[in-house]
Amino acid sequence: MQSIIILSILVLLAPLVGGLVYGIERKVKARMQNRMGPNILQPFYDFFKLADKRLVMVHSTHAFLGVMHFISIWVAVAVLIFGGDLILVIFLHLLSTALLIMGGFSTRSIFSHLGANRTAISILAYEPVLIIMAVSIYAVNGSFQISSIIGSEPLLYKMPLTFIALLLILPIKLKKSPFDVAEAHQEIAGGAEIEYSGIFFEAIYTAKWLDYIFVYALVFLFGGSNYLLGAGLVVGTFIYLNALDNSSARVDYRQMLKFSYFVALPVAFINLLITLFN
Amino acid sequence: MFELKKFRKKSPWILHFNAGGCNGCDIEILACLAPKYDIERFGMINTGNPKQSDILLITGPVTKRTRERLVEVYNQMPEPKVVVCCGSCASTGGIFRGMYNIEGGVDQFIPVDVYVAGCACRPEQIIDGVVVALGILEEKTKEIEKTIKLANKPVVEEDGQVNRRNMPAELTYETAV
Repeated sequence: MQSIIILSILVLLAPLVGGLVYGIERKVKARMQNRMGPNILQPFYDFFKLADKRLVMVHSTHAFLGVMHFISIWVAVAVLIFGGDLILVIFLHLLSTALLIMGGFSTRSIFSHLGANRTAISILAYEPVLIIMAVSIYAVNGSFQISSIIGSEPLLYKMPLTFIALLLILPIKLKKSPFDVAEAHQEIAGGAEIEYSGIFFEAIYTAKWLDYIFVYALVFLFGGSNYLLGAGLVVGTFIYLNALDNSSARVDYRQMLKFSYFVALPVAFINLLITLFN
Repeated sequence: MFELKKFRKKSPWILHFNAGGCNGCDIEILACLAPKYDIERFGMINTGNPKQSDILLITGPVTKRTRERLVEVYNQMPEPKVVVCCGSCASTGGIFRGMYNIEGGVDQFIPVDVYVAGCACRPEQIIDGVVVALGILEEKTKEIEKTIKLANKPVVEEDGQVNRRNMPAELTYETAV
């Protein structure tokens, strides 16, 4: 009973922690560029400012899909924290992205269509690796349950190549350079979320924080019962992602797909074969 | 009480719009975002999306091609919003004033809150202008702000507001008469 309460509090706090992660990320990124950078609480300032804007929406379905995008990713994070099914988590996350894509296509703005299109392409790039990751975790562990994964031996020693494949697709997932075609600042000005404003953009903005929680929780799973190792992996991934984001330029979406299918996917697949025939 | 108003000052998102200038002021605006001046430390982001921004930074004089776009971009920004004119071209028309393709200053079409002088305006001046604009932003209400209608008839009266003259239209009007 007590553990359920603690887990519920963790789920409720997930957006707050995600906001802090985003704030720290902006600070770290600024320091890497030799800038001062904003306050660590800056995402929350943005949050309150967006709540104060006048209500403007394109049409009600568009706004509804944006809010559902936020809710479904929160449910995905909740299932992840409660130790549910890994496949369910991955598909709930896919559902949330699909809702954003539908939102992007529901307006008449050409930039919104372009962003939704590119988001769909980036799903094509990263989703197979996530599925293969789940399958190889099943092959090693005999279960999709996250609670059993977190209680077992560290997965990193048994499937290091899958972890490398995950690291390769994380920039696509989090829309970071060099694979930020879906967001593409100043090129298509934010992608599928371009038509959202005010309190509805807030849902998208907060969903972005929850994305960080989702990704770093996936990375944390590789630590298994060794929580210290998991935390180390999370910190290492954080630094790797930001260093990569700052040091690389955006690539074409074709190059992104090619990289995903010819580098990341085979790496994950080789690891799956090794675990299956071991 | 928890006031949302004070957070407007802490995260102003900028939309940068070039109405047809020579790119001098644009370079200075980008210099503000670069490591030397780093206005991101005040929470400012260059969003490039009118629907999510609070401050409209305009550079350059309004040309016949950009005036409808300028009004459209301004109308897409949700209130509260402020407009900052960067440089003398955006404020009055500058050296382009009176040319056949130039309409003049920005304030003929949309209400302007802060004028930043200079050709090109220095990054320090832009930051100063934006800080003044933030003070205005905090006072503003969420009422819809209307643009000034595009004039069909040339405005020829000179009541101290020389800037309201629609010179190209005036020329054609005079030749037609």
